[in-house]
Amino acid sequence: MADRSKQGKEYPPITWEVERGKIRELAKAIGDPNPIYLDKDTAIEEGYKDTPAPPTFLTVPMMWSSSMPVVINDLKINFANVLHGEEEYEYYRLIYPGDVLTGIPKVVSIEEKTSKSGRKMDMVTVEILYTDQDGEKVAKARSLLIERK
Amino acid sequence: MSQEIYYEDINVGDEMPKLVKGPLQKLQHVMYAGASGDFNPLHTDDDFAKAVGLDGVIAHGMLIMGFVGQAITQWIPRKYLKRFGVRFAGMTKPGNTITVKGNVVEKRVDGNENIIKCEVLAQDENGDVKVTGHFEAALPLKS
Repeated sequence: MADRSKQGKEYPPITWEVERGKIRELAKAIGDPNPIYLDKDTAIEEGYKDTPAPPTFLTVPMMWSSSMPVVINDLKINFANVLHGEEEYEYYRLIYPGDVLTGIPKVVSIEEKTSKSGRKMDMVTVEILYTDQDGEKVAKARSLLIERK
Repeated sequence: MSQEIYYEDINVGDEMPKLVKGPLQKLQHVMYAGASGDFNPLHTDDDFAKAVGLDGVIAHGMLIMGFVGQAITQWIPRKYLKRFGVRFAGMTKPGNTITVKGNVVEKRVDGNENIIKCEVLAQDENGDVKVTGHFEAALPLKS
């Protein structure tokens, strides 16, 4: 079961430089043809500074930095029993190519619940607050991990 | 420039334009793995997926959230999106066709922001729900 002594713990920061190509690559992988993600000129015509990151872009720094496995290992959770239950983003400003993001993962809560079938589960909420190169808040990502016990 | 969308034009109960994706192919899982950095073989390796008791690979949950994000930002400009969350409710498999829909459930003035809140849903061709969620956007006023 998830190590409750880790509630409130912060983990080493993720640092990620945002590239236009990576924004385009994510949009293409989703199959999102919206030209604001693909073409700088169109994005500018639409009132953006450059191609903005799509709404789910923050999965990219999180996954490529392997920050979640670090947290899961530290919580002594068995990977095979983990489900991604929920994901939520709060956006404070748009993310653009050239931004250098710093994200600090934090375990905000660990709660035990019982499923309808009577199985016990630990609900682990991890938040990553991202700031930019000027120290301004960019977004917060909240992930709910479900450990089936 | 695409047409501006105003707070006054949106009403509780309005439907978000539907988005249909698919039928999904395994190739998209590979593309999404590379783009996102999520290389869990459950999404790309049938042998691995079978070894853990599935029929074969399943899509990344975050890919389906990405479809919902596509549906939202083809309607509401990306710059107005303030909050977006989902709950992962079911597995998506190659061959599934995913339909994303949603509707406006609340309008409110929050300080100097004019917020709409919508509930969203992604389901397959059989009506099985893959993702439920919500988003909030701050829209400009006409006046």
